Amino acid sequence: MTAPVIVPETEIDESVAYARPWKVLVWDDPINLMSYVAFVFRKLFGYSAEKAHRLMMEVHVEGKAVVSSGTREKAEFDVFRLHEHGLWATMEQDE
Amino acid sequence: MSRFRRDGDVVVVDLPSGERDMLSQVLSDLRDLLIDGGDDTLRRLKPPAHLDNGEAEASYRELVDDDLLRSRLEAIETVESTLSGAELDTSAVAAWMQSLNSLRLVLGEQLALAGVDLVNQTMPDTASAALYEWTGWLLEQLISAASESPEP
Repeated sequence: MTAPVIVPETEIDESVAYARPWKVLVWDDPINLMSYVAFVFRKLFGYSAEKAHRLMMEVHVEGKAVVSSGTREKAEFDVFRLHEHGLWATMEQDE
Repeated sequence: MSRFRRDGDVVVVDLPSGERDMLSQVLSDLRDLLIDGGDDTLRRLKPPAHLDNGEAEASYRELVDDDLLRSRLEAIETVESTLSGAELDTSAVAAWMQSLNSLRLVLGEQLALAGVDLVNQTMPDTASAALYEWTGWLLEQLISAASESPEP
């Protein structure tokens, strides 16, 4: 058991903001091959060929797709790996 | 004839000597470009992670730029050491894909900066365009060979 701690109101707001998940988006670009994008999704996230293909098509047709989500650290790591593979990835916090 | 074929757990590279020399040359150019770091054509290799938050973007760049560079240089080294008739394991396949794709991103950006419309594929008759199409052709074949295994 932990004794209750009085937290100033501003810090409460911040911790709530921090808890909102982050999402990782991949954006369409004219250079990356469609087969390559799907391959990277399978490799990095362990997605099935079907799911990877569906996400790749969403990027291609809609212009972007959410490919993963989680804590800020996880999102940052995923964005880094996508950048490492040359994909156009960004991260943003869920509204 | 395909330049890559799957053989059990590995992917076998089979490039004609002229293509080996060409790839070796463009990878060497890419390494110089990456180490120098300032060229506009590198833009697509370092896309922003945060679109509307300059502070977060600055800290992301601080965190990853050295690692991104190191990862790309290591991948180039792996390709260079497996250019002639080598058997590529999973990590070497990844290095080849990463390097071929980096080349395409730089060449594609060169073409785009020169006013070429990449979406409509109106490729001009230039060395950059030929290299761009050739690296894309190689990458497509490598993906196809690598995908023959149950898991990439």
